[in-house]
Amino acid sequence: MLSRNVVSACRQRTRGCLHAPSRSLASIAEASSSAASSSSATKAVINAAVIVNRSPILTRTSSLFERAYYAYQSRIRRALFNPFPTEFYFKTGSLLEKKFAREEKLREKEAFGGPWSLKRSDRGSEDDGELGSIQVSPDQADNMGEEPIEPPASRIHEADKEGDVKSLDRLGERNLYLLIRGKDHLGKEVWRFPQGPLQDGEFLHQAALRDLQAEVGENMDIWVVGKKPIAVYQPSLPESTIKSLAGELYTFFLKAHILAGQARPSGKNVTDFAWLTKEEIEPRVEKDYWASVKDILSDH
Amino acid sequence: MSAQVATRTTRAVTTAGRTVRRTRPAPQRPPLKRDEKGLPIPHVNVIVRDTHRSRLADHYHDTLQEDLMYMTYVHEPIPRKPPRPVRLTYDPNDPYTKHRHNPPLGGNRWAKQPPPPSAPDNIIQLERIQIHTQIKSAVASRTNLLGPIMAFRAISGATEQGGGQHTAEGVQLVKGRKNLQGWVRPGLPVGVKVDLKGPQMWDFLSVLVEFVLPRLRDFQGIPLEGPSSRLDKPNAASGVVSFGLPPTALGLFPQIEVNFDAYPSTFGMHIHFITNAKGVGAQNRARALLSGFQIPFSKS
Repeated sequence: MLSRNVVSACRQRTRGCLHAPSRSLASIAEASSSAASSSSATKAVINAAVIVNRSPILTRTSSLFERAYYAYQSRIRRALFNPFPTEFYFKTGSLLEKKFAREEKLREKEAFGGPWSLKRSDRGSEDDGELGSIQVSPDQADNMGEEPIEPPASRIHEADKEGDVKSLDRLGERNLYLLIRGKDHLGKEVWRFPQGPLQDGEFLHQAALRDLQAEVGENMDIWVVGKKPIAVYQPSLPESTIKSLAGELYTFFLKAHILAGQARPSGKNVTDFAWLTKEEIEPRVEKDYWASVKDILSDH
Repeated sequence: MSAQVATRTTRAVTTAGRTVRRTRPAPQRPPLKRDEKGLPIPHVNVIVRDTHRSRLADHYHDTLQEDLMYMTYVHEPIPRKPPRPVRLTYDPNDPYTKHRHNPPLGGNRWAKQPPPPSAPDNIIQLERIQIHTQIKSAVASRTNLLGPIMAFRAISGATEQGGGQHTAEGVQLVKGRKNLQGWVRPGLPVGVKVDLKGPQMWDFLSVLVEFVLPRLRDFQGIPLEGPSSRLDKPNAASGVVSFGLPPTALGLFPQIEVNFDAYPSTFGMHIHFITNAKGVGAQNRARALLSGFQIPFSKS
């Protein structure tokens, strides 16, 4: 089972596997041979790590080209649209019809610009006669007796201005990932994803959730996506460490989403945490660690 | 500021230093022909593409697509064997059958076929949404279909050949196909349907999820079949999820709510979510996709 998983992860990220020539499980043939020998020579020590993702909470800001494209397309659409049957939808002379005509005029002006639409309304043709007759007092000018619409909140949160990497509200347009500062397999303090060892008879996705809660507390609502690992990290360890660990070390990554709450590490094993984008993760983690996870982190 | 000035001057110098070859002036085109309304007919076929970004489409591409790939991944280390021909076909080398359609005897049993192998290019995605209603009173008088047609136009925003696309069919009439004694005759309009694709589909989905379903009384979610139901039945293998809305739901669409009195009667509707999933258990994968858009499902 283990070897099949390793192969699958290697197939998904061939480059990651090529980076580490010491890995023995690069092909199916080798996988079967090592599976046969795993009971006798080297046992595998399996860790389950969780990549906790905070999905984007804002829509992405359109680029200049996209905005121009959409404005152009909506102008064509407005010009080519089938005639709107006002007589079905509105009673003639009703407040709703006036409101619609007024809004439509604004939209027309927005789409086709100032001078052209102004000129057309000045001409006062029979189409515009009705629109021109709608006179609203300046206090009603913005909304016909309705409550004013609140302006949308700023797209830049205070956490962005302060540079607070622990806030879940930072960088609303990006995918953020939970990175913690804790000890790795050599006992060195590094930035890594939350992880922990697999217990006997435990499934990977169960171990992932348990280890996550052990490291960053139970204050988060977490949903682990699927039961299959999405990446594997196998450090090239010296012989002495393999002996002390009693086997080769594999860390399998599972993806999870945070639904509510916030990380609260106990401070004993985990000293710090941060919600980071892909580019911010790269300088913090080890090179071979980065090679095994970079393809599964989102660029957006 | 000074840097801007500097770049501007260098640019001016380079253009001044470049020798510009004189070319022919642009040809003088005759003015565009005008149609009977006096509007210019463009010399190209103008087709409207997307007029705005869709939040749910972004959500699908940022989050759901990746998650669904992990959730529906089936590990197949060895390429599949070609299926054993259980059912006979006519001899393909026989001159009579050589260039003829030669399906296996008894049909190709499409519902029993396994899903295609997991790959990044066949992740499940929503292709279109079809809304459909049958109006019984249309048999007596076809003018009873006018209300549903207008309601569907308002809900979907689709018009016939809208935006110059000849494939945009808008709201279509559903006509009887069989002669059922005392009820339907062939060619008799009995209902109305509309196919939604692209941004209109995403807009409809977000309105349904945010305005209609939460306000619907006694709505427990779309009922699921029990775990014992077979996965190779035609409906379970076709990747389509369908459900119905009661007549009370019509007034909950904001497009209809705004002038609810204009519609002579309310009616229920069927909504079909059509995905690209195929093979055994495709409907379950389609449900996983839809639950990602927060459409609730419940055990019956």
